[in-house]
Amino acid sequence: MRLRDYFFIVGTVMLVGALGFAVSPATASPALSAAKPAGMLPQTETVTNEACLACHQNPQFSTTLENGDQYDLYVDPEEFNHSIHGEGGYLCVQCHVDFKPEAGHGFSFNSRREATLRLNESCSQCHQTQSAQEHDSAHAAARAAGNLEAAICTDCHTAHDVQRLKDPASGQLLPGMRAQIPTTCQKCHSTIYEKYRGSVHGAALTDENNPDVPTCIDCHGVHIIEDPTSASFRLKSPQVCANCHTDPQRMDKYGISTQVLSTYVADFHGTTVTIFEKVSPDAITNKPVCYDCHGIHDIVRVDDPQKGLLVKSNLLAKCQECHPDASDNFPAAWLSHYIPSPEKYPIVYYVDLFYKFMIPGVLIPMGILVAMDFTRLMINRFRKPHPQEKKHHEPEQAEVSEKAAEAVKLAETGKSSEKAAKQKKNKKLAETEASENSAAPETPAQAAAANEAESTPGAEAASENPTSNEDAENE
Amino acid sequence: MTGNRKKATTQVHHEKNYPRFNLGQRWEHLVLILSATTLLLTGLPQKYRDFSWSQDLLSTPERLELIQQIHHIAAIILTIEVIYHLGRAIYLMSKRKLSGDMLPNQQDILDAGQMFKYLLFLRKDKPKFGRYNFEQKITYWFIFFGILMMGVSGFIIWFPEFFTKFLPGGVVPAAKLAHSTEAIVAAIFVLIWHIYHVHIERLNLSIFTGRLSENEMREFHAKEYERINRTSAKNTDAEERQ
Repeated sequence: MRLRDYFFIVGTVMLVGALGFAVSPATASPALSAAKPAGMLPQTETVTNEACLACHQNPQFSTTLENGDQYDLYVDPEEFNHSIHGEGGYLCVQCHVDFKPEAGHGFSFNSRREATLRLNESCSQCHQTQSAQEHDSAHAAARAAGNLEAAICTDCHTAHDVQRLKDPASGQLLPGMRAQIPTTCQKCHSTIYEKYRGSVHGAALTDENNPDVPTCIDCHGVHIIEDPTSASFRLKSPQVCANCHTDPQRMDKYGISTQVLSTYVADFHGTTVTIFEKVSPDAITNKPVCYDCHGIHDIVRVDDPQKGLLVKSNLLAKCQECHPDASDNFPAAWLSHYIPSPEKYPIVYYVDLFYKFMIPGVLIPMGILVAMDFTRLMINRFRKPHPQEKKHHEPEQAEVSEKAAEAVKLAETGKSSEKAAKQKKNKKLAETEASENSAAPETPAQAAAANEAESTPGAEAASENPTSNEDAENE
Repeated sequence: MTGNRKKATTQVHHEKNYPRFNLGQRWEHLVLILSATTLLLTGLPQKYRDFSWSQDLLSTPERLELIQQIHHIAAIILTIEVIYHLGRAIYLMSKRKLSGDMLPNQQDILDAGQMFKYLLFLRKDKPKFGRYNFEQKITYWFIFFGILMMGVSGFIIWFPEFFTKFLPGGVVPAAKLAHSTEAIVAAIFVLIWHIYHVHIERLNLSIFTGRLSENEMREFHAKEYERINRTSAKNTDAEERQ
């Protein structure tokens, strides 16, 4: 009922006030409806900013909250008018949606932070994407866990002095805005800021406004700021560094190698980290990532005379964090992002070279020999008399007399450079064979033929002379 | 006649099988096959980490740990086998009983040349081989040095802190490179060269049965066959003379 009364009063005031007052809201409304979807806004509550400022531009204007906090209610009109929202002609009540015209506006808060948190919800009316991202961030998680001080929109963007950060056309950060990012984060993360400020990146940003170095958000993201202590952040952190460090456009100016990622991935640590990142992104691993050696926020040049990793003892100290038994030679087991060459890591280079020649040198001739052998094997197989034919002739051969077999054997041995002196023994052999069964072929050539025609000469023997086989078994 | 034939049959039956590998050697080969296969299967996913089948296998740190442990256990088994093999060779050498059959010699080069001619159809017959032909010697020594290389490099990358106490750090990445590359070379070598010669060229199961048939001896180890028969004939002669 009160609401209806209120609408009635406001409507009456507006009608009475007629033209003079109607001008400014009338010009503002088209801009508003263009900027955001209609219906989101309490359009019926068109209370002008002037009406608010009548009280709120008084610098002494403040109130005491339930916990005793002094809540400053002053708004600098100049500041607001130069903010992105002020320039866009936005109304106070578009954000201060709980506004009631009576004194105290019908709401009360226990503390300043509580009031800020409540008002912060208004941002999501227009900035849904950013708000949703922020809801998944480490800051939101901290708030949910009870830390109400964790950053909300206005902590970084301010409430009334919100500035344009990006060029609307290009989507890129406006010049000068990059340098403000670390100082924004510094409001809470001052210790980390001090480290960053002294790092190779932070110094370049602060001292030269260098556009190539990362600010906080280049690694941690904007709005959807992840918990950097999580296992998944650790596993994907090399990719974060690689975003810039594999980009030749950025790196060539400074003579920094763009092979840092590929050389890292090629070695034990990087291999494992890369696999885990792909297959189990939440896996906890002690395998080092970039920042374990190079530092997290206090990253220095590798050739820094004090802290640089080119100082051998500095690198060894890093190794020893995980390899306590590491001694002086150990750090060289890591190729330091170098690609082996005759100058750098010659031993690795020459091992590689050896295998570059050894692999084709062994495997190609081997393959050719096997192929040739197989070809000859096949040709032999098909050139031989047909197996059936051969089998047919064999009984005839079986009837070859002892003497004939002996002669063949003798001739064969004579051929094969065995001297006549040994013929005596061969004779014995030939006799044995001839008397036994003819299936055992007489010459090596025939043996091969028989072997190929019938892969089981034993079976053949059995079929042709079953008794002998039985005899053998009996014994 | 029957008695005569019976006697002859016995002799032939006896001759049909020629001992080639003793039980110890056959066990060694079995241990080698099993450990090397395990090493290969657990090593490949570690080497080819970019492939999805590898990543499926190594899906969690626990799995990677497990696969590495299996690899290490198989490595220890193979190391014990290598030590046994070398130890036995040294023991036999000290007793002057180590057969030199496996040592490469000039004849092997001649045999290889003749074999090459045979394969080019410039010769009608294969050369006559002794107990181990040049192809088998190549297999043995290639695998021998391959395992030696992989064993040494494997221990270097397993215990880098220890080895860099007295070796330059560069040996670790060099060993890593040598280890995985040598493994691939050895695997391809075995798969093509060895498998071809013992399965496709002919089915040679002597490393499992321990013996070769007379036909196999005659065709593939003619010299050895002749030598054995010469010796046995000599013995028979001697017996007869007595």
